[in-house]
Amino acid sequence: MESFDPRARWIFSLLFLFTATLFWDARFLAVLFVLAFLWYFSANVPWSETRRAWSFVGFLLLIMIVVNTILTGGGAGGVVPEGGHQVWPNGIPIPFTDWVFHFGLTYERLWFALCQILRILGISAVFVIIPFSMDPRLYGVTFRGLGFPDKFAYSMELAFRYVPTIARDFGVTIDAQRARGYEVESSGGIFKQLLRTAPLIVPVTMNSILTGEDVANAMDLRCFGQGPRTWLTKLQYHWRDYVLIAFSILMWVTALVIVYWFDVGNFWVPQWLLNLAGG
Amino acid sequence: MEKRSLWKFGTREVVYAAIGAALYAVLSIATNFLQLPSAGNVSFRPAVAIPLFFGIAFGPIVGFIAGFLGNMISDLISGYGFWVWWDIGNGLMGLVAGLMAFSFTSFKARSTLLKAELYVILGVLVGMAVASISEMWVSGADIQTVIYGNFLPSAIANLVNGLILVPILMIAYDAVVSRSGR
Repeated sequence: MESFDPRARWIFSLLFLFTATLFWDARFLAVLFVLAFLWYFSANVPWSETRRAWSFVGFLLLIMIVVNTILTGGGAGGVVPEGGHQVWPNGIPIPFTDWVFHFGLTYERLWFALCQILRILGISAVFVIIPFSMDPRLYGVTFRGLGFPDKFAYSMELAFRYVPTIARDFGVTIDAQRARGYEVESSGGIFKQLLRTAPLIVPVTMNSILTGEDVANAMDLRCFGQGPRTWLTKLQYHWRDYVLIAFSILMWVTALVIVYWFDVGNFWVPQWLLNLAGG
Repeated sequence: MEKRSLWKFGTREVVYAAIGAALYAVLSIATNFLQLPSAGNVSFRPAVAIPLFFGIAFGPIVGFIAGFLGNMISDLISGYGFWVWWDIGNGLMGLVAGLMAFSFTSFKARSTLLKAELYVILGVLVGMAVASISEMWVSGADIQTVIYGNFLPSAIANLVNGLILVPILMIAYDAVVSRSGR
């Protein structure tokens, strides 16, 4: 993956997102899911590095599936038709009582949950891998190359450069406040803890703003923004980047044709599942 | 205070946008020690006050970039990956709050602080609504999930942070401005 130009990679990722969000048909989503993970594994990033991101995705999925599929019965975002084949048409009897718990879970909503899993995991695989496989120093020049204004791209590059400086300032500030009796430990209510962050946030912010004034003056003195900016790193497309971009565009255009011309790709439930449901 | 164009993006704005983004990213990670109750995938970030404050102090474009880039860098360093719709939502918070920039003369006047609180509320509501609603498009979540699972937790957490910390930052910045004569 790293051998591709970062601009080509961004184009692929964004067009993959636009393509995946066109479908709710598990057959198309399964193809995109496989494509996403082929792309993901081509980065060769070890699991230990991405574990945290996947925990986050897993939690997000759990919330989506539990709330969407298990708890709410109103259909998912207008995708799943009302009604359907109930998993427990006669309700769930509660042991040792005469009570019956009526739970409106349907096979259609279960199938929709599978579609959600395929779609969210596919999109996540394409986007989660970006920060783990792309040099942050290339973000500015990449966004400039994608057509963003020079100043926005330079802001991006400058922000990455400021991170270590501000992290160091934060460390110095926290030490200085500790020397004055500041306690880092979290205890007390929300408001108390929130107010306790002010002695850290305020000095670091004000110090950074004062530094920024000097940096802006220095940049003005060097005629920043008077002409087109040049970048230390030059990006150059190679044939494989063109292939990736062409593939991305083809994938998206094909998806548009399938969905809007042939009217295929909307939510679909396989017949075998409906047979299983007795319908 | 000099009268400036709301949408100007000159050298100062480039630098402050970068500083705002870096501050938002670093402070988001640095204040992770706060173990406060908040919902699911929404973290409680006192640093959310940074894009809101930078918008109010330096304009909507600076506020947008501070929120957008700051959230992106913070997620990147924390290992959460890349979530463009939440980055845009964070950016919009700063942008909407920044619509009040340059319309006042003193950062610590009571009327300015009240106005800032109003814009903080508007910014948070707009930003988090856009980010949450995008989950319907991306994840296929229904409106109830979006409201109760995404919008309310993120909006409430950000409102609490913004409403308390933005005025504190504004009063501190007023002292910096009057001392430096800028």
